Amino acid sequence: MNLETDILVIGGGSAGTMASIVAKEQNPDVDVIIIEKGEINRSGSIAMGMDALNIVVQPEISSPESYMESAYVAAEGILDYKPSFVLAERSYSMLKRLESWGVRFPRDNDNKYISLQVHAKGSFLVEMDSPELKLILAEKVREAGVKVINRTIITKLLVENEQVIGAMGFNIRTGEFVVCKAKTTILANGGCSRFSLPNSGYLYGTFDYPGNAGDGYSLAYRAGAQLTGFEYTNCSPLIKDLNCPLLYITLTRGAEVINALGEKIDLEYVSTQNMLKELREGRGPIFIKMNHLPEERIQEIERILFTTERPIQKKFWENRGIDFREGLIELGETEYQLCGGHGMTGIVVNERAETTLKGLYAAGDVACVPFQHLTGAFVFGEVAAEEAVKFVSKNEQIKVNQEQINAEEQQLLSLMEKNKNGSISVQDFEYKVRRTISDYVVPPKNKTKLNRFLWWLPRFREDLKNIRITDYHELSKFQEIQFILDCAEFSVYASLTREESRWGWFHYRTDFPEKNDKNWKKHVVLEKGIKSGEVQTLLVPIKEGGEN
Amino acid sequence: MPLIVDTELCTSCGECVERCPMDIIRLNDDGYPYKKYDECWYCGVCEEDCPEKALVLDIPFLVK
Repeated sequence: MNLETDILVIGGGSAGTMASIVAKEQNPDVDVIIIEKGEINRSGSIAMGMDALNIVVQPEISSPESYMESAYVAAEGILDYKPSFVLAERSYSMLKRLESWGVRFPRDNDNKYISLQVHAKGSFLVEMDSPELKLILAEKVREAGVKVINRTIITKLLVENEQVIGAMGFNIRTGEFVVCKAKTTILANGGCSRFSLPNSGYLYGTFDYPGNAGDGYSLAYRAGAQLTGFEYTNCSPLIKDLNCPLLYITLTRGAEVINALGEKIDLEYVSTQNMLKELREGRGPIFIKMNHLPEERIQEIERILFTTERPIQKKFWENRGIDFREGLIELGETEYQLCGGHGMTGIVVNERAETTLKGLYAAGDVACVPFQHLTGAFVFGEVAAEEAVKFVSKNEQIKVNQEQINAEEQQLLSLMEKNKNGSISVQDFEYKVRRTISDYVVPPKNKTKLNRFLWWLPRFREDLKNIRITDYHELSKFQEIQFILDCAEFSVYASLTREESRWGWFHYRTDFPEKNDKNWKKHVVLEKGIKSGEVQTLLVPIKEGGEN
Repeated sequence: MPLIVDTELCTSCGECVERCPMDIIRLNDDGYPYKKYDECWYCGVCEEDCPEKALVLDIPFLVK
């Protein structure tokens, strides 16, 4: 399939749908194509809906400046001022935009939006009641006249003279090779959820949507863009085994967390690190306790948990015979992940969603705007679209060198032939890669341990030729595991470079156990060596307010 | 970890196949959906979006 467009959006989740709708709104004559790995009605991290916009600065209630104070606390100072400021500044108009599309934001008796405090310096989380969120966005995409190509994985960006001019991939059912030439490209394809192994041992039992295998990080890096924050491997205490979230919904409504000794854990604005510490220091298991809450409150919690985001929880508790009125909810540590939404990892972007590569924008979990959450995906989807439309008006399509297209098509086709009798299943291979990530890439870290992964890495890449691929679905998994391997490599190099400990446990180095603000209040940035092709690390100063 | 299908209600419309975010559902020779790949995120889209409410999604044994 040969496509040509003004704006290519890779990934049709929260950021990608918003970007494509806004691009058409800015200029209906601009052609927009979304290439989506799943199916647009139910794809990305919000397939089944979402219950809150985590960051909303409401006029006369809070200010972007007060949000920035919270953001600096959360990111421990490793934060560029402008992108987070823009996020805060545009958050309220984004809420209004969503509300005008039929997304429901409940109000209290005084007709005010219901906000809850989960940040250090103010109540920015606004409740949203939207199991239909993704269906609403997908409908808006259709109304806007955006072309959607579903079930297509992107394997490589088209690059000419250090400018991104489209992308290539294949349909994961039919194997059809897809080339899309584009004047500009917006990457919106999520973080890396399939990183370390979940404790359940079930590969796809991850906290975040497991379709996100770090595709965007790897694609951007290989094309020459800069990445940052890969040392911040993070996990959360969620429902043990199931790895579904419930913390904000329960804790902001009066639930408590207790340890094995029955002691209440100090939560300090839902600090997940305090909870994880109890587990590591042997005071686990830890539990959410709700039996002191009034019946109406428990019903409210059940209604949200059992209808929005991860409704499977209802069946899970029924099966285990646990009723919130009596039983305790055991929390367990999820797998480690890399994410720009609830972490600090991603492609380097500025407040205009520009990456360091011409023609390439990034929005949502794939971009590093620390702790931007769903609000960030929407706001930077909007920002990226506005900038991309401007870019299109000033730039012509650059001629694509047919050789790079032929080479990628040939490479993918030949795998189906060469690997059809491979001795290692894709599942076994993914299991071993992710188990090795669990062994060596996640905290507690030290130089020797991190280097053990670098011993494995070339062996894993050598093993690729023995992976059995019998259909295009498996070919897509084969591609995804290479993204996961790339992400692990990025994480190891970033972690080795940052010779201090930061963000609590998540980048805790036993050989450098202290946080060192004097030397390390800076970004660890990664880019591909132009000649060597190896990961290069750079130390980049934090951009304060007022600078460009 | 099966999909439990009510064969009285299922019309083999394939909506579950089309909507599954992980693309793991296919129709068997009798036209009923099953999980072809062991990669279910138990998101519940198949159950929720089935127009006939003919499906029950079971939680994978390892996390159940």
